[in-house]
Amino acid sequence: MERRNFIKSIMATSAAVVTVPTMVFAENNKTAENNETKVEVKKVTVKGPNDLPYEDAVKAIVGDKELKDSDKVKLTVPEIAENGAVVPVKVAVESPMTEKEHVKSIHILNTKNANSRCADIMLTTKNAEAKFASRVKLSESQDVVAIVAFSDGTFMKAGKSVKVTIGGCG
Amino acid sequence: MAKRRAIVKIKPKKYAEGDIVKVSFMVQHPMETGMAKDKESGEIKPAHYIEDITFSFEGEPFTKMKVWESISADPFFSVQYKVEKKGKITVDYIDNLGEKNSKSKKVKPKQVQTEKA
Repeated sequence: MERRNFIKSIMATSAAVVTVPTMVFAENNKTAENNETKVEVKKVTVKGPNDLPYEDAVKAIVGDKELKDSDKVKLTVPEIAENGAVVPVKVAVESPMTEKEHVKSIHILNTKNANSRCADIMLTTKNAEAKFASRVKLSESQDVVAIVAFSDGTFMKAGKSVKVTIGGCG
Repeated sequence: MAKRRAIVKIKPKKYAEGDIVKVSFMVQHPMETGMAKDKESGEIKPAHYIEDITFSFEGEPFTKMKVWESISADPFFSVQYKVEKKGKITVDYIDNLGEKNSKSKKVKPKQVQTEKA
């Protein structure tokens, strides 16, 4: 019996020793997290004129329909952008561009800017090729997404991530 | 308001009827997001960006664009166009303060067969 009690006591004390510091650490972590969230809230207080998060923007374009990743949409974006204020974006879509089958519109979006919409391009058959190029601002490292609407009502998507070393939105 | 310089370019320079060319459009425009601070005064600059761009050939629009402030300052856009006949490509744009402007470029296709040596 003595031996059993002795082991029990050792177990209890060791458990206490292990748990106490973890508790302290956890509290420290909590306070650190609180500080971080406060700083973030301060940053976000400046609001743009027409802010829209990425998911809402996609819903506004696609609605309830399916959105698939596709090889038909080719998006060329630099992997690492040194300056976030000028990021070249190129989109090319494989399509015959005839009356029956053509690209209706190309939407260029980003995932983390305050306003996730960059540009909507409405094309016609006179374009003969569905290609578009422009330059975009990115506030931080994020994805650039091109959503393409075809004339038969389907939607395709292509996305690529861009690492931004200096943000471009002030 | 200061005058905004704009360019419409057609590439390649020499093309025949039926060729597909690249039409690009560039403007001098600040494209302010409405979120950036002025470095000297510390005040937030008001938003000022282009909203609508229309590419048209002889009054018939062939490409329309809606643009938001996430496009870079001094923006550049390019699209493809199939040349059919002589005419003029005009690009109109409006910004959020109601500033309207347009720039045009003549389309002069050259037929290779009728060209004299």
